Amino acid sequence: MELFLQQLVNAIALGSVYSLAALGLTLVFGVLRIPNLAHGALYMIGAYVTYFALTSYGIPYIVAIGISAAVLALIGVIVERLVFHPLRNAPHTHHLIAAVGVLFFLQSGAQVLWGSEFREMPSPFTGIVNVFGLNIGQQRLVVIFASILVMVALYLFLKKTVPGQTIEAIEQDRTGASLVGIDANRVSMMTFAISAALAAIAASLVAPINLVFPTMGEALNLKVFAIIILGGLGSIPGAIVGGFALALAEVFSSTYISNAFSEAIGFLFLLVVLAVRPTGLFSKGA
Amino acid sequence: MLEVRDLSVRFGEFAALRGVSLTVEEGELVVVLGANGAGKSTLFRTINGLIKPASGEIDFCGEKIGGRPANAVVKAGIAQSAEGRHLFPELSVLKNLTLGAYLRRRDRAGIKKSLEEAYELFPILYEKRNDPAGSLSGGQQQMVAVGRALMAKPKLLILDEPSLGLAPLVSRQVLDAVVEINKTGIMVLLAEQNAKAALKIAHRGYVVENGEVILAGSKDELMDNDDVRRAYMGT
Ligand SMILES: Nc1ncnc2c1ncn2[C@@H]1O[C@H](COP(=O)(O)OP(=O)(O)OP(=O)(O)O)[C@@H](O)[C@H]1O
Ligand SMILES: [Mg+2]
Repeated sequence: MELFLQQLVNAIALGSVYSLAALGLTLVFGVLRIPNLAHGALYMIGAYVTYFALTSYGIPYIVAIGISAAVLALIGVIVERLVFHPLRNAPHTHHLIAAVGVLFFLQSGAQVLWGSEFREMPSPFTGIVNVFGLNIGQQRLVVIFASILVMVALYLFLKKTVPGQTIEAIEQDRTGASLVGIDANRVSMMTFAISAALAAIAASLVAPINLVFPTMGEALNLKVFAIIILGGLGSIPGAIVGGFALALAEVFSSTYISNAFSEAIGFLFLLVVLAVRPTGLFSKGA
Repeated sequence: MLEVRDLSVRFGEFAALRGVSLTVEEGELVVVLGANGAGKSTLFRTINGLIKPASGEIDFCGEKIGGRPANAVVKAGIAQSAEGRHLFPELSVLKNLTLGAYLRRRDRAGIKKSLEEAYELFPILYEKRNDPAGSLSGGQQQMVAVGRALMAKPKLLILDEPSLGLAPLVSRQVLDAVVEINKTGIMVLLAEQNAKAALKIAHRGYVVENGEVILAGSKDELMDNDDVRRAYMGT
């Protein structure tokens, strides 16, 4: 029972990170209809920015995450302007190829600049807290609470602010959005900024538990794509539910079946769900 | 005023509009008649910047708006309730209407007033204000589309078949609202299946066939025209 609860907490922490990263990806898909395969690379760069803010400049962890989010928002906008905007009327395969190009460019850039070694990110939250008899690492609690905070903020932004509403409007009807005077260009840039910032926050939160290295985004990339396909492309609740579902499946299969199996379980799960519901759990008008 | 001069639109090889010229003067309600596929929606979409013209000019109140993107055309003062409505189906009626006022989002008091006016015009929308727009009936959705376009406080309102698929009574209600809107000084450009009902409320009209304006005239001229009567009024 204790093992179960312990692993449940781990799964929730992991699921929070998956959900944050998947939210960014699903937002970009909803607005631009682009499967942004470079998302994992933005995630990786986000981890490095936080890492160097912490280790080279001694900036406090939480502030460092904020800086990383801001830097990645800017990088997100640049990627949108330089790569995806010029391709906006091109066939979908061009977007895919461009996104893979950005992924490789950022990954090799990181390798050249920072080397391929694995780095440990120091976090001030190294203690263990005892919650109802369970020993939980402080960092995991930080991951969970910070993620929930960011998700609530994102929700309020999307539902309660005019810029947030422009995102929802474009997702639901692009023509309708331009007919009320919304500038799709601006919304695309804003969406990329938010998406990259979410990836940076997710990466910075989980990095002290895992490690920082140039290809850290690859595995995540596969997972977040599985999550948003599972949840329904472009769906916000789908990204959150999918993120937690994948984390639960991974953590419990590694605990009770085998460690080697846990990486595959997510995809097995995905295949099963798609066989039953090809458009994902929360897809619209399915 | 709106002045369209010699406008042509192509979809690949297909010439959807050929040398179309049309005007809407201050205070006017102008109707565009035409069979299915004649090019009415293409004309409206091009005026609103959703389609780039192959050639020709579009001037609006002294501005050259031809070829500008849709959001810039709306800024110039032209709002459209388009074919297919293009509502935001999962957002509430209230949010749909509020987004209609996107370009004057800082004018909170003005938006509140426009909302009240929209509800006055279509009282059912007030009752349904918290329902997702996609859950409304066709007629109610059409009212949301017209109301949303009005929320932009346009100088010219373009309405593409606002009574399409509506029950006769609801259709009357929508056309009555169009007259009310026009009376407040807003120019209206209207496409309508029901030629008789449309001509009744219009000042002038154009007849479009195969992408060309084949006839233009005042309300009475068109009503008395034998071709118009035969082709569009079934008499
Ligand atoms: N995006 C497009 N690509 C290719 N052809 C198009 C496109 N949009 C419209 N057309 C064609 O252009 C012609 C005019 O269409 P349009 O929708 O403007 O007609 P309409 O007068 O509005 O008809 P309706 O009364 O059915 O709404 C039609 O033959 C249509 O098939
Ligand atoms: Mg039409």
